Amino acid sequence: MPATAPPGTGQLTREQLLEGYRVMRTIREFEERLHVEFATGEIPGFVHLYAGEEAIAAGVCAHLGADDYVASTHRGHGHAIAKGCDVKAMMAEIYGKQTGLCHGKGGSMHIADLDKGMLGANGIVGGGPPLACGVGLTARVKNTDQVAVSFTGDGGSNQGTFLESLNLASAWHLPCVFVVENNGYAESTPPAYHQSGVDVAKRADGFGFPGVVVDGFDFFAVHEAAGEAIARARAGGGPSLLECKTLRYYGHFEGDQQTYRGAGEVEEVRRTRDCLATFVQRVTNAGILDAEDLERVDQDVRGLIDEAVTEAKAGPDPTPAEVETDVYVTY
Amino acid sequence: MTTVGIVANPAAGRDIRRLVAGASVSGHAEKAGMVFRVLAGLGAAGVTRALMMPAPGGLSATLHRQLRAHAAGQGHEAAPAALEELPMRLDGTAADSIRAVEAMRRAGAAAIVVLGGDGTHRVVAKACADVPVCALSTGTNNVFPEMREATVAGLATGLVATGRGGPGALRRDAALRVEVDCAEPDLALVDVAASREPFVGARALWRPGGISDLLVTFANPAAVGLSAVAGMVSPLERGGGRGLHVRLAEAPEAAAITVQVPLAPGLVVPVGVAAWRALATGEQVDLPAAGGSLALDGEREIERRPGARATVRLVAGPLTIDVDAVMRHAATKGLTRLPPRV
Repeated sequence: MPATAPPGTGQLTREQLLEGYRVMRTIREFEERLHVEFATGEIPGFVHLYAGEEAIAAGVCAHLGADDYVASTHRGHGHAIAKGCDVKAMMAEIYGKQTGLCHGKGGSMHIADLDKGMLGANGIVGGGPPLACGVGLTARVKNTDQVAVSFTGDGGSNQGTFLESLNLASAWHLPCVFVVENNGYAESTPPAYHQSGVDVAKRADGFGFPGVVVDGFDFFAVHEAAGEAIARARAGGGPSLLECKTLRYYGHFEGDQQTYRGAGEVEEVRRTRDCLATFVQRVTNAGILDAEDLERVDQDVRGLIDEAVTEAKAGPDPTPAEVETDVYVTY
Repeated sequence: MTTVGIVANPAAGRDIRRLVAGASVSGHAEKAGMVFRVLAGLGAAGVTRALMMPAPGGLSATLHRQLRAHAAGQGHEAAPAALEELPMRLDGTAADSIRAVEAMRRAGAAAIVVLGGDGTHRVVAKACADVPVCALSTGTNNVFPEMREATVAGLATGLVATGRGGPGALRRDAALRVEVDCAEPDLALVDVAASREPFVGARALWRPGGISDLLVTFANPAAVGLSAVAGMVSPLERGGGRGLHVRLAEAPEAAAITVQVPLAPGLVVPVGVAAWRALATGEQVDLPAAGGSLALDGEREIERRPGARATVRLVAGPLTIDVDAVMRHAATKGLTRLPPRV
């Protein structure tokens, strides 16, 4: 009998590493730029930034195809980028432009692209998991090998919708992966004040499926665990829960004064655990990618984000005539 | 006053083996129950004070509920040792356990009870010096700590802490000292595995693919995990002063033998072995300089750049309480007998 590794994971190729880095860098650049642009007052509505959490979206979505689904949160830009949504159309959407991904009607908090399997950012905390159950059920009934992933925060994991979805996915054996992005704050409240215990992953025990904790700053850890969870769901093994411990670098929303944070909290994490910095250090240390490879990606991404902002600002606003377009559906 | 330390790792038991294998789950309630039972055993053996690393929310609340319930309904059973939580801030990493053990030593702890897996014990071993350790497993996929009833473990630890453990109470376990380049040396209690995979990924090791070398402090064929590979080819007693160095086959054709090994609970896989040889205490092994990662006690921990020098040396490890030996001694010497009623 051969001594080989079971399928599902294995060593990351150079191409996979470059793609993972490109996705993380694109999200970071997108969010850092929005942080600057939002302060000018040109962007309508609320914006919740994903900076700091990039390794999770990149590590999870690396295992998903265009016909797999993700259901996102109010902090959804990272999931959309990692799921392959057009970055320029996303920027235009956040600026409320006619050229946006949802023709300017969704904005940051409802950005969606069904063709890419991105079911949308969601203004409702805990709104994503039931949607994942829905598409998971579709996949099961139609007997496809599609997988549905929902993203939820630590706060969202207290919502009835989250726990009901764990129950439903377990009872119906749905191909769902519930990713919990535990970023340390439900808006401004740390988990110690609203959850008994340290790990949201333990909640999976009560519903009879596996729950695993990984370091959400570590692309490699997320990539391996998510790969196994998604392969399991795809092969008919049912749901699982993946809790990723992380920290968001900015406020709950842009403009949040963040008086609830400890002094130097974000600076310390940025300095020691940042997903991009540790990724660069590890892949170059291993001699698989070099600084030039990564610099080329950085340049491409900077160029893309610059163009995206310029084009978004110059793009046309939706006209009054379009006010009802895409709003009502006739079955 | 006799003091015993308790380290209960709240995070143990959430790694990828729950996903890829059938590893058991030990929740807060079970861990709290185990601590309560340790306290009962310690108290019955005459230990008055237990110093514990503070437990987060759920575990602590459950434990205190149990202690209150016990105090309310106390009959003629022995009182549990009084629980004191160390005044320290937790940052949720392994450093918590190190600082807790150091504080316990400063407070004069005569023994330390550890509840966790191989990883937790490895961390404690780095800091406990020669304070005896009672190693209790909180799951089924561990090799260093034993699965046993916490009450009895508490009794035995209490007997050792009060100087009544007997001649065979303590076993000097071995450890593997790992040095990579100029980094701070690390320690493993059961095994060190050198893998060709460059990144440590999701930490817990569950695939044999890519592993070139395996070094073990003892080789139990009844164990679960990588050390079972060594156990299957050449069983070695624990605490016997000898280890084993096993080279795994790079390809199935290169295997001298192929053994079926339970690498994780519920996961039995074939592993090809190329060669093996005994390892003496003090002996140093230089690992191949091709780069890759190192797993210590089943946790992938260290990434090595190509060309990095990595050595592993079999050294003396922690002093471990042999619960069976202590209880046998106690029974033989009548240490568990109460004075006759007058």
